[in-house]
Amino acid sequence: MNCLSKYWAIAVTSAKSNLAYAGEIGSRLCFLGIILFIFMQLWKAIFANANVAQFQGYTLEEIIWYLAITECIMLSSPRVTPLIDEDVRTGAITVQLVRPMSYPLYRLASNLGEQAVRFAVTVASAGSIALLLVGPPSNFGLGLACVLLALPLALVLDFLGYLLVGLFAFWCEDTSGLALIYSRLTMVAGGMLMPLDLFPEAFQSLLKGLPFGYIVSGPARQFVHPDPTGLGALLGFQILWIVVLALVVAFVYSKALKRIALNGG
Amino acid sequence: MVINMNNAVEVENLRKVYEMHKRNGFFRRTKAEVVSVDNVNFSVPEGQALAFVGPNGAGKSTTIRMLTGILTPSAGYARVLGYVPWKERSHMAYHIGAVFGQRSQLWYHLPASDTFDLLAKIYNLDKVEYRKRRDELVDRFRLGPLLDVPVRKLSLGQRMRAEVAASLLHKPRLLLLDEPTIGLDIHAKQQLRELVSEWNRKEGLTVFLTSHDTGDIENVAERVIIINHGRLVLDDSVENLRRQYEGLSLEEALSHIYGLEVESEETEDVPELQAVG
Repeated sequence: MNCLSKYWAIAVTSAKSNLAYAGEIGSRLCFLGIILFIFMQLWKAIFANANVAQFQGYTLEEIIWYLAITECIMLSSPRVTPLIDEDVRTGAITVQLVRPMSYPLYRLASNLGEQAVRFAVTVASAGSIALLLVGPPSNFGLGLACVLLALPLALVLDFLGYLLVGLFAFWCEDTSGLALIYSRLTMVAGGMLMPLDLFPEAFQSLLKGLPFGYIVSGPARQFVHPDPTGLGALLGFQILWIVVLALVVAFVYSKALKRIALNGG
Repeated sequence: MVINMNNAVEVENLRKVYEMHKRNGFFRRTKAEVVSVDNVNFSVPEGQALAFVGPNGAGKSTTIRMLTGILTPSAGYARVLGYVPWKERSHMAYHIGAVFGQRSQLWYHLPASDTFDLLAKIYNLDKVEYRKRRDELVDRFRLGPLLDVPVRKLSLGQRMRAEVAASLLHKPRLLLLDEPTIGLDIHAKQQLRELVSEWNRKEGLTVFLTSHDTGDIENVAERVIIINHGRLVLDDSVENLRRQYEGLSLEEALSHIYGLEVESEETEDVPELQAVG
């Protein structure tokens, strides 16, 4: 219980601290507005050109709401890799390691606090923009309930991916290149631009075998097409990938600790 | 090794060797070993204020990181407050405090009071006891008017007072201070030194200080250990060191000792000054 309360306190403190970044939040909202507007025009043109009301069961309104949710997930994705880079490069990791807490759990709690703020602000503005562009989503209540259930696990899974990339800082000190590859993989293979159901079937089965879709596409799909059976499967795969990645992170972290050098000391 | 329970820190034949890779041409790399700490022995009784000094690259930080359990030694033994640091780091962490002059533990955008509250949770402090302790520290470190100001708006001196107060919240038995006065003005330095000394006397807090500032050593420490090239070259009281180098400032004395070390390295003589106990 005490253990949980310390990480909860870290998450709350991190959320409070991130409220200070008002300027950064504002600039992100402008970016989000532009992106959603561009994709709205793009999808409008695609629907008009194909002269259809639906693509694989998705209406234009649903696609826009899907995009709004995936953009929120991507724009609030963790910034943990530069923090780990800095901790390792400058030796600042020492400050965290002399305390009675786990460094990866500290980063997870701190990240979830930060993401809660970023996601809340982003979703409020993305929701307003989507509402303005295409009106309210159908099945709003059930969709919201499903996405609220799927989102926390999606964020933890995304964090573990970034943490794993960040831990390579113990070997190469600068993981920005790796983080960029990981974020682009999440963007493309996770289905940020369009639902995985719209990919060719051969790709779909490949992408379903990777964790990215359970971070981005899975929760967004549940928002526009809520489905309790599909939600159960999504949560199951999210938990499975979290366990797998947590084990890999634990292994890499144990090796990384042995590599702590004296940077900045 | 015979364990003396009155010692806060016990170190025996502590050694750390780093494996480095040297680039040889564009693709080839060769392995080289660098001895950072070389068979160091010392102990620190509970309640003592010790200055652990040496030039840059002498092995100070490596020793401290082994004593905090962050690094595992290549050989040798250490016990800090009865714990083997690299095996029992998380248990030991409840009993030690640390201040690193160049790295802050305070949340930059939040008032120090938020970090204090968070540390109370991290160290599982009882609410009533925490408030009592916090109020005492706030009073002694004159943090009252600063407590609700975001850390980014504090001066360096004010921030360092808050850093040290934060590190004392959980009543540690050992306080590690790594360059605590770096960048501070004379007045802020003196304030900080007095506060650390007061806590050392008042609570019997063991202080393990590293600093290049001889003022820190003279004002805070009663004993000084000098390490150079990974080896312990002097272990004596600050008073004896002053007496030995009468007429010289402590800075000049240290510079002389470091210089002797370099000469002895060059001539391969046994350092005359070695007063290791």
